[in-house]
Amino acid sequence: MQNAECKVQSVEQSEGQIPLAVRFQAPTASRSARSRSVMQLAICTLHFALCTVLFPFSAHAQSTRDTISALQPKVVKIFGAGGIKSLAAHGTGFFVSKEGHIATIWSHVLDADLVTVVLSDGRRFTARVLGAEPQLALAVLKLNGAEGVEFPYFNPDEAISAGTGTRVLGFSNMFNVAAGDEPVSVVHGVIAAKTVIEARRGVFDSPYSGPVFVVDGVTNNSGAAGGVLTTRDGLLLGMIGLELRNAKSNTWMNYAIPVNELASPIQQIISGKFERKKDPHEDEPSLKPRRYKPLDFGFLLVPDVVERTPAFIDSIQGDSAAAKVGLRSDDLVLFVNDELIQSCRALHEAIGRLESGDQLRLVVRRGNELVNVEMPVPKKKE
Amino acid sequence: MTAIGCRPSAIGRAIANLLLILLCQPAWSWQSPTRELEEAEEQAFKRAVSQVAPSLVRIETVGGLDQVQNFLLGNGPTTGVIVSADGYVISSSFNFLSKPASILVTTTDGKRLAAKAIANDTVRMLTLLKVDAEGLVPARPTAKPSIRVGQWAIAVGRALDANAPNVSVGIVSAVNRVWGKAIQTDAKVSPVNYGGALVDVDGSVLGVLVPLSPQDNSPVAGVEWYDSGIGFAIPLADVLATLDRLKQGKDLRLGLAGFNFASTDLYGGDTKIDRVRYDSPMYRAGFKDGDLILELDGHKVTRPAQVRHVLGSKIEGDKLAISIKRGEETKRADLTLVAELPPFEAGFLGVLPTREKVGSGSTEGGAAGDGVGVRWVYPDSPAAKIGLKPRDRIIKFRDQSITSAAQLIDQVSRVRPAEKAAVIIRRDGKEQSLEATLVGYPADLPKDLPTSAIEAVADAESKTPDDNKGGEAEKLRTGRFAEEVAESKNAWWAFVPESYNPAYAYSLLAWLHPPGDTLEATVYDSWKLEAERRGIILLGLKAANINSGWQANEAEFVHETVVSFQKKYSVDTGRIVLHGYDKSGPFATHLAFKHRDLFRGLLLAASAVAERPPENLPEYRLQFQLICGSKDPAHATLEKMAKSLQGIKYPANFTSLSDLEHRYPNAEGIDAMARWIDSLDRL
Repeated sequence: MQNAECKVQSVEQSEGQIPLAVRFQAPTASRSARSRSVMQLAICTLHFALCTVLFPFSAHAQSTRDTISALQPKVVKIFGAGGIKSLAAHGTGFFVSKEGHIATIWSHVLDADLVTVVLSDGRRFTARVLGAEPQLALAVLKLNGAEGVEFPYFNPDEAISAGTGTRVLGFSNMFNVAAGDEPVSVVHGVIAAKTVIEARRGVFDSPYSGPVFVVDGVTNNSGAAGGVLTTRDGLLLGMIGLELRNAKSNTWMNYAIPVNELASPIQQIISGKFERKKDPHEDEPSLKPRRYKPLDFGFLLVPDVVERTPAFIDSIQGDSAAAKVGLRSDDLVLFVNDELIQSCRALHEAIGRLESGDQLRLVVRRGNELVNVEMPVPKKKE
Repeated sequence: MTAIGCRPSAIGRAIANLLLILLCQPAWSWQSPTRELEEAEEQAFKRAVSQVAPSLVRIETVGGLDQVQNFLLGNGPTTGVIVSADGYVISSSFNFLSKPASILVTTTDGKRLAAKAIANDTVRMLTLLKVDAEGLVPARPTAKPSIRVGQWAIAVGRALDANAPNVSVGIVSAVNRVWGKAIQTDAKVSPVNYGGALVDVDGSVLGVLVPLSPQDNSPVAGVEWYDSGIGFAIPLADVLATLDRLKQGKDLRLGLAGFNFASTDLYGGDTKIDRVRYDSPMYRAGFKDGDLILELDGHKVTRPAQVRHVLGSKIEGDKLAISIKRGEETKRADLTLVAELPPFEAGFLGVLPTREKVGSGSTEGGAAGDGVGVRWVYPDSPAAKIGLKPRDRIIKFRDQSITSAAQLIDQVSRVRPAEKAAVIIRRDGKEQSLEATLVGYPADLPKDLPTSAIEAVADAESKTPDDNKGGEAEKLRTGRFAEEVAESKNAWWAFVPESYNPAYAYSLLAWLHPPGDTLEATVYDSWKLEAERRGIILLGLKAANINSGWQANEAEFVHETVVSFQKKYSVDTGRIVLHGYDKSGPFATHLAFKHRDLFRGLLLAASAVAERPPENLPEYRLQFQLICGSKDPAHATLEKMAKSLQGIKYPANFTSLSDLEHRYPNAEGIDAMARWIDSLDRL
């Protein structure tokens, strides 16, 4: 039942999210740069593999190289749907139980009748989707015909958090470089930032919204999603997310979803007690009527002529709330209730969202000064 | 760990050194790096970031453009580096390409301040901001000589999160990159840290992160390398050295000495000066065409690239010590570089050279290398005043033996208007010495310009096996034909005169179809006759989407198609013209300015020069013709524009067509345009 429900969800997603396909097409220049990095990383992988073979028993436990050889068997290659246009038919996942449960990203790859999982030692299994939480971009698979076999695994409950600058390792089958009995590729980097992906449409076009680890290495490539991010000494941090473009900077992001966020749904799916949380935005109409407009406070903006017309005040009505707090024409509105206002359009939206009884706090720029004003939101006659 | 805490700088260096040693070992002899070392390094990174954090600000902008040069601009937060306690912040100019209406700076303690852009460093792509604040923490610069390739380099920005810096760790990959301007790093540099700091493990600032490209100096150049492992930072020490000049509020511009090289090969050519620009620092110091540069600022130089390396980071007002060799003599001087040179202006003699047959040395009046014939003399020109006549041959100009029209054009352009030049001509077998006082290029077109004779292809000639062009000519298409280009979805049509004779060089008119009404029939019908008479190959180029018009990325299609025609047919490189009308004018302008090595003429009908013209350069001859009807609303604007082109010393003609509205030029206009094209090889 769970499974069927997820299928429906996935269909809705792929129809509603045409940009998904767009997202997967990186500009060629950056793509080739990324491929270059991948080449280097592949060499790195080889190098590490070589070292592991030559020095299987290092005197120092928990150095990066020991970590890698210990973790690689816990990460698997996943093959499923895709292979058309720029959608890859491969992905990555990691064991979360010794019985063969695998956590991975909820993506089009799982949209197949049969999903194949290949282990680092070359063993192949088919798998079925046990459950999924599309809001967290999470899916859990179970290997078929693996009864009685024990697998090395990560315990999601032992996932930790770490600060900016922490050295990390990313494990994934990026670009499907690893074949057959080869372990997945390893990349290294540091945590560039811990930040929040906002689910605002148009800014981040992502099914997932919430905290992420941003990484300075190129971890998020084609097929890398569902891989793991760990500390240098092997502690589980996050699951590598789908390729995603940051619309604020127009760059591709490298990030992982903290496993902390995923641990309880993973355990619930495994134990069959999972109930999907309701999307808080699900029932909201996509286009809310704007309840208030600047004129309700007694000011008018300059005509909105270009994409990013700055929100300059054009005129103030005498005897209005705006006049009382001392707003002037030519003031530039910069913040509405702590939200940065980058255009007239953004101001209309922010004021439109106000509710009766709220306070409207504005920061305006007058010459070289920032001026704070505050006005009560008037009652609306229905 | 306490020891590490006390001396971060020393431990950081030690770690870097140790890592270098490790990296130098062959793989099989590697010592496993210990957990302790890895942890110490990680601690050092974090400490460096926390040390630099108070000197980094988050920058937000309001309003402005959403794209520049077809490049989509993000409007998210960016980063800046504090350079003075009293509120000066340096950042990457990339962060302000949108020309925002307002700039806001947030300091590390969360205080928001209104900022003003003070000035730009256009050489190193930096912008200086000022906020009203006191007691800010300026970044501590790393001493430049101590920067070593291989040391840790941490790129720090503030764009990703409001509360904490974002970090990328790498090493210094190179110093003195991009013509001496920048440190290169493999830390990930992108819009999330442009304007931020590249930091040493001791927390001092190596440089300010910017996008840069060695090949291109446009403001978005280098952004395509974001996160690739190729990132650049301008040394903070260099920024501080020019800070006082930026604080004056004047943009810093590249310092020019005023010369160009004879060789266009940056790495293979020598340092022989082709021309010293009139009234430039080089000119005033007494340097001359043909001097060989030996040393710049104490660096020995033998290749143009080495010279560029020294000059690439120079700013106006900077000093340059130069020494040269002239014959057996050497000469040195200290120059003060300038940002602007007086516009280059070529002298005009008033002659159209005879178009000799391609490949064959034989000419109407003499043997191979025997000067250049006079095809036509401009009335009232310097040439007319000294009595030059058609069929005279110019043997020498300023003591230089003349061997080709191109060489004569070059020689004449080296003389400034009002200067005198000695001319030796041969008339009826006798040499005469004359002296002409040159003038500037005339704006008016010659009223009656006789065509230059093109002989019909003689059967025997076209089949001569050793004449390559003649041999191929049998396969070459003439008349009107067209093709569609599958890959780019563009299309073109062409008209090659039926009488095409590869023994003569033709003009090439590249006509860009405006969007919508494509005018193909009009253009073909009105030009066919003049094309046959005056030897012009017509090439009509169409945008991939003919309705929406030309996009910036179609420049390559136009360039490639023109070059392929130039290779296939016998085309005079001095007479390749771009022609736009109405809405295709701006794209024609863009291409003419972008490919200055290819296009020698820009012909705009009922359309303005839509981009600011680049400086007139002796190495790239470019002539303009603006033509429109007297009833065209744009008439006055275009006339003014032609005047301002003449003001910056470009040869520019304005032709007004009586009683014509905003339309493609009529028969009178075609005649004027054809005369202009047929006189592009004037000198």
